[in-house]
Amino acid sequence: MAALAAYTIIGLSLGGIFSLAALGIVLIYRTTGVLNFAHGAMGMFSTFVAWQVFYGWSHPFWPGWISTLLAVIAGLVFAALMGLFLEFAVFRWVRTRDPVVKAVITIGVLLALQSAASLIWKNNQYHLPIYLAPQAATFTIADVPIGANNIVVIVAALVLAFGLGAFLRYTSFGRAMRAVSDSPASASLWGVPVGRVGAVSWMLGSLVAAVAGILITPFINFDTTSLTLLIIDALAAALIGGLVSLPLTVLGGFLLGLLETYPTIWIQSIGFPRLVALLVILAVLVVRNPRGFAVAAK
Amino acid sequence: MTMLRVRDMTVRFGGIVALDGISLDLNRGEILGLIGPNGAGKTTLFNCISGVIHPDRGSIFFEGHSLVYAPPHVRARFGIARTFQNLQLWGSMTVEENLVVPMDALGRRNTFSDALYLPFSAYAERASRERARAILHVLELDRYARTLAADLPAGIQRRVEIARALAMRPRLLLLDEPAAGLDAQETARLAELLHAVRQRFHVSMLLVDHDMSLVLRVCDYVYVLDFGKLLARGQPSAIRSDPKVIAAYLGEESNQSTGETTTVVAAPKQAAPLLEVKQLAAGYGGLEVIRDVSLQVRPGEVVACIGANGAGKTTTLRAISGMIHPRRGRVMFAGIEVTGRSAERISKLGLIHIPEGRGLFPRLTVEDTLRLVSNTAGHEVDITPAFQLFPKLRERRRQLVGTLSGGEQQMVAMGRAILSKPRLVMIDEMSQGLAPSVVQQLFEIIRVFRDEGIAVLLVEQFVESALDVADRAYVFEHGSIGLSGAAVDLRRDRKLVAGSYLGTAVETPAMAAANGNEHRVDPALMEIVSVRVPAKVKRALEQRAEAEGRPTGAVAIELLEKVDRQ
Amino acid sequence: MTSRLMVRVLVTLVAFAVLARIPVGFDVGFKFDSGLAVIWAFGLLSLVLLTGYVGQISLCQATFAGVGAYAAGMMTATFHVDYIVAVAVGVAAAFALGIIVGLPALRLHGITLAIVTLGIALVFDRYVFQDHAFEWFTGGTGGWSVREASMFGLQMDSSKHLMAAYVVLLALFCLVGLLMVNLHDSGAGRRFRAIRDSELAAATMGVDLTRYKLLAFGMSAAIAGLGGAFYPLVAGTVSPQPFWLFTSLQFAAIAVLMGVRYVPAAALGGAFMAFVPDVLTRFGHGSLFGHQYEISYDWFQIAVGVLLIVQLIALPDGVWGDLRNRVRHARSTVGALGGRRVKVA
Repeated sequence: MAALAAYTIIGLSLGGIFSLAALGIVLIYRTTGVLNFAHGAMGMFSTFVAWQVFYGWSHPFWPGWISTLLAVIAGLVFAALMGLFLEFAVFRWVRTRDPVVKAVITIGVLLALQSAASLIWKNNQYHLPIYLAPQAATFTIADVPIGANNIVVIVAALVLAFGLGAFLRYTSFGRAMRAVSDSPASASLWGVPVGRVGAVSWMLGSLVAAVAGILITPFINFDTTSLTLLIIDALAAALIGGLVSLPLTVLGGFLLGLLETYPTIWIQSIGFPRLVALLVILAVLVVRNPRGFAVAAK
Repeated sequence: MTMLRVRDMTVRFGGIVALDGISLDLNRGEILGLIGPNGAGKTTLFNCISGVIHPDRGSIFFEGHSLVYAPPHVRARFGIARTFQNLQLWGSMTVEENLVVPMDALGRRNTFSDALYLPFSAYAERASRERARAILHVLELDRYARTLAADLPAGIQRRVEIARALAMRPRLLLLDEPAAGLDAQETARLAELLHAVRQRFHVSMLLVDHDMSLVLRVCDYVYVLDFGKLLARGQPSAIRSDPKVIAAYLGEESNQSTGETTTVVAAPKQAAPLLEVKQLAAGYGGLEVIRDVSLQVRPGEVVACIGANGAGKTTTLRAISGMIHPRRGRVMFAGIEVTGRSAERISKLGLIHIPEGRGLFPRLTVEDTLRLVSNTAGHEVDITPAFQLFPKLRERRRQLVGTLSGGEQQMVAMGRAILSKPRLVMIDEMSQGLAPSVVQQLFEIIRVFRDEGIAVLLVEQFVESALDVADRAYVFEHGSIGLSGAAVDLRRDRKLVAGSYLGTAVETPAMAAANGNEHRVDPALMEIVSVRVPAKVKRALEQRAEAEGRPTGAVAIELLEKVDRQ
Repeated sequence: MTSRLMVRVLVTLVAFAVLARIPVGFDVGFKFDSGLAVIWAFGLLSLVLLTGYVGQISLCQATFAGVGAYAAGMMTATFHVDYIVAVAVGVAAAFALGIIVGLPALRLHGITLAIVTLGIALVFDRYVFQDHAFEWFTGGTGGWSVREASMFGLQMDSSKHLMAAYVVLLALFCLVGLLMVNLHDSGAGRRFRAIRDSELAAATMGVDLTRYKLLAFGMSAAIAGLGGAFYPLVAGTVSPQPFWLFTSLQFAAIAVLMGVRYVPAAALGGAFMAFVPDVLTRFGHGSLFGHQYEISYDWFQIAVGVLLIVQLIALPDGVWGDLRNRVRHARSTVGALGGRRVKVA
C-alpha cells in the first residue's frame, strides 16, 4: 500500500512534466496550426543552455541557490528568444499552409536542434542535473526513495498550469489568445492581432518546454537524445486533451505519468513506458474517432 | 420501377438534426430534383446515399439491395456514381486517366500484372482508354484528354467530373450542385447536357442545386427540404407556385405594413458613398463566384442584398471585409482604398463584418467576447451599452457562447458591433436558423443601428423582412447584380423578386437527340458507349476492327445493318 | 506503351552497369558506403511509394528496415540458412509489420497518422530493439554477428565480399525501381494516386480503400525491409542504432528534399545519406586562418534540417521534382486561369 503511494508520487511528478510539455504543444497548435514535433528538442536545448550556465559559469562562482537561479533564468531567456526566432524566421511564412507541411517543417527544426546540441555538448551522459531542491532531502516510503525534487516538480507543474490558465482567463491578451485558438478566421475579423498572438504562443510554448526539461533532469538519463524523445509522451498527453482543452491536457499528463510508472513495479525495462505512451495514443484516437466513414476530404 | 428507396433517414450532428425522417423514391429513368434553403440537409442526404456518412436511423434500398452497411466502393459497384460540390478531381492525373480509374476499379484489375506489363493488362488498358475517349467525345471534352485535371478551368472541371462519373457505367448519378459557379449561359448548356446524358447513357439522376432555373428545366419531379424535413414534393411547375415553398425561401408575406416607409431620408442623396465597390470579382480555388459586382452604401443607409443561394452575396461580403482576396475590382471605404487589405486592418477602419455563422468563439463567455472589443480599440471599452440593448445577455454573461441559442448568439455578435462604434456593419444571413419571432426582434435592432448613424449592408434570405427595414436593395444573380432599386419599389413587385429565386416559367426546350448542340458526333464512337453486348461478342468485334484498322463501332454498325437487311 | 517500357529497361540497365563499376578500385570503407547507400535508397524508395504515390505519411520507415535486418540476421545466425532465404524472411516480416501499421492508417490521416508512426518508431527503437524480452529476435545487446554467410551456395565474408553484396543490392534496387516506375503508370498506380489526390472521390468511384491502403503500407514496408535485410551482410552486425527514430526522420526529411514522388530521387538521397557524412569525416577538417576546424556528421544533419525548412517554405516539390515540373510546365497545354491561379490543396 505504501509502495503504491510512493509510486503514485513518482508517477505524478513524471506526469507533471508531461503536462507542461503538452500544454506548450496544445497552445502552439491551437493558435498557429503547427503541431510542434520539435517541442522536446526545444526544451532539451534550453535545458542544456541552463546546464551550461550552471556548471560552466555560475556554479563555481556563486553560492548554491544563486547559481541555480541564474542558470534557470538563462535557460528561460534563451527559450523565449528561440520561440520568437522560430515564429519570425520560419512559421510566419507558412501560416496558410497545410498542417502536415507545417508539422514536417518542425521535423526539420528537430533535426537541426538535435544535431546542434550534439555538436556542442557531444553525446555524453551527464550525471550532474540541476536540482531545484536540496539534494540531501530524500525520504523513503516503503523502500522507494522519494526526493524533494519529486514534490517540487508536482508543485511547479500545477503552479505553472494554473498560472497559464489564469493568464489566459483574466488578462486581455490571454483573451485574445483564446479567441485565436478557438477560431483564427473569426479572430482576424474582430481585429485581433493574429500574428502577435502566434509569436507570444511560440514564446510561451518554448518557455514551458524549457521548464519541463529543467525539471526532469534529476530523473532521467540526461543526454541530448532522451529529452528530445519525450515528445511522444507529451503528444500522448496532448491527445488526451483532444488537442483542444488545456485542463484535460494537464489531467492527461498526470494520468499518463501514473500509467507509465505503475508497471515499473513489475517490469524493469527502459523502453516499456514508451510502449504505454503509444498504446494510450492509439486508444485515444480510436475512441475519439468521428463516426461514419472517416475519409479525408480535401 | 423504383430504383432508389430511402426511408426514414435521420442524421444528427451533435445537437443539430440535419435530416429528420426523410423518405424519398426515385424511379428508373427519372431525373429527380432536391432543393431547399441552406442547411436544409441536401448534401447530408447525398452523403448518406453514397456511403460517406452513416445515418443514425433509416434505410436505403437500391434496386432491391439494402445499402446499409456497404462502404462507398461497394455502392459504386452497384452502380451509384456521384459528383461533388467542391470538385474532387484527381488533379495530378490527366482527364483521360481520371476517367480510366473508375473503369479499372470496377473491372477488378490485378496489381502485379499491371506492374509487370503483362499482355492482358495492356489489352484491358487499351480498351479502357478507348471507352474513355468515347465518353469525352460525347461531352465535347476531347481536346482536354491529355491535360492535367488541375490545369483546367472550373466549368470544364465540372464536365470532367460528370464524365468521370459516367465512366463507371452507373445506373444512378448523384449530382451535387453541378451549377455552382456557372453563369446563366453555362447553366443553360449544363441543362442540355444533362438531358443528353440521360438519353445516351441511360442513367437516372438525383440532382441537388440552388439554381432553380436548372432544376426546373431538367427535373421530372422535385422534393423540397427545409430544416431537415420534407416540405413539399411534386412537379417542378407546381413547386414553383407552392406558397409553402415560396415562404421557405423568401420568408412569410408580411401583412402588416411597416407604417412609415419614408424613413429613407436619413442620408441626403448627394452624400459621398461610405462604401464603394466597383466591378468586384472573387472566388475560391478555380471557381469564380462573383464576376462583376458593383454597389454602394451611403452613410446611415440600410442596404439589403438578396438573391438565390450561390448567387454570390456571401462571397461579396467576404471580398469586401478581407476574408478572401478579390481577383479584380476595387473596394473603397470612407475614401480609402481597401482592396486586398487584411481583415484585421479593415475592421480597425470601422468596417465590421458579421459573417455567416456569426463568427463567434464557442469557448469564450459572453462577457469575454464583448470585452474582446477592447483589444481592437486598444483601450478599455465599457460593455454596458451592449447589455442595455440586449438585456437577455446580462443574465447570460458568464455563459459560454457555444451553448447559447442561435438568437442569443446573433445578439452577442450585434452587441459587439455596437460597442466597436463602426461606421458600417455588414451582416450575413442574420436570420439563419432562427425562429421568426426572434428574427423580428433582430430587425428592430437594425433600425437602432440606423438611428445611431451606422450604415448597414445586409445579406438576407428573408426577403420580406429585409425589404421592410432597408432603404435600398440589390438583387444578386449568377455572380453579379441583377436588379437594384429602392426597397419600397421592390416590395411592391413580389413576383419579380420571386422570379429571381425560383426562376421564371420556361418552356422546357424540346430535348430530342443528343445533337441539340451544334457539335457533330461520330456515330461510330457513340455506339461503343451505349450498347451493351456480351463480352465474347464484343471481343470478337474488337479483334475484327483491329484487323481492319477501323473503329469498333463502325464494324458493329456495319454488321448490324447486314443482319437487319437479311 | 511498349516503346516506353523498352526505354525504361534500357535506362535501368545502363544505370546499373555504370553504378556497379563505381566502387571498383576504392577501399573497403568506400565499398561499405556504397552498400549502405543502396540500403538507404531502399528506405527512401519505400517512402516514394507510400507518401509520393499514395499520399500516406509515415515516420517509421527505418523501423521496417530494422525489422528486415534483425529478421535476416536472426535467420542467418541462428538457423544458418542461405542468405537469400534470410532476406526473404526479412521482407516477409517487414511486410507483415507494414500491414499492421496500416490498420490505424485506415482511420487516421495527416498529423494523427504521423504521430502514430512516430510512436511506433520510438517504441521499436527503445523497446523492441533493446529489451531482453525480444532477445530471440534481436540477438541481445550485441545484436547478431554475421561474419560469414552463404548466398546461392557461395561463401560470402562480409569484409571480403562487399563488392558482391553491393552488386546484388544494386541489381535488386534497379529491378524494384523499374517495377515502381511501371507501377506508377499502371492501373494500380493510378488507383494509388487517386487515393492521394482525393480519397473521397476514390472511394465513391469504386476504389477499395482498405485493400489499397493496406497494400501500400505492406509493399512500402517490404521495400524498406528488403534493403534492411542486406544490412547484416554489408555491416557484419545488426544493432539498433542505424534504425533508430532519427533515421526514420532523416528518411522523411531527405525524401522531401529530393522529391518524394520520384524514384531517381531515392537513389540520389541514398547516396547523399551514406557518402556525405563519411566525406565530411575524411576531408572536413583542417585549419583555416590558424584555427582547427572539423565538420562532423552533426553538421550534415543540421544542414539537412535547415535545408528542409527552407525548401518547404520556398520549393514544395523537392529538388528533383521542381526540375521535372519546370520541364513539364513548359509543355503544358492549357494555361492558367485569368488572374492568380491558386494551388488546390
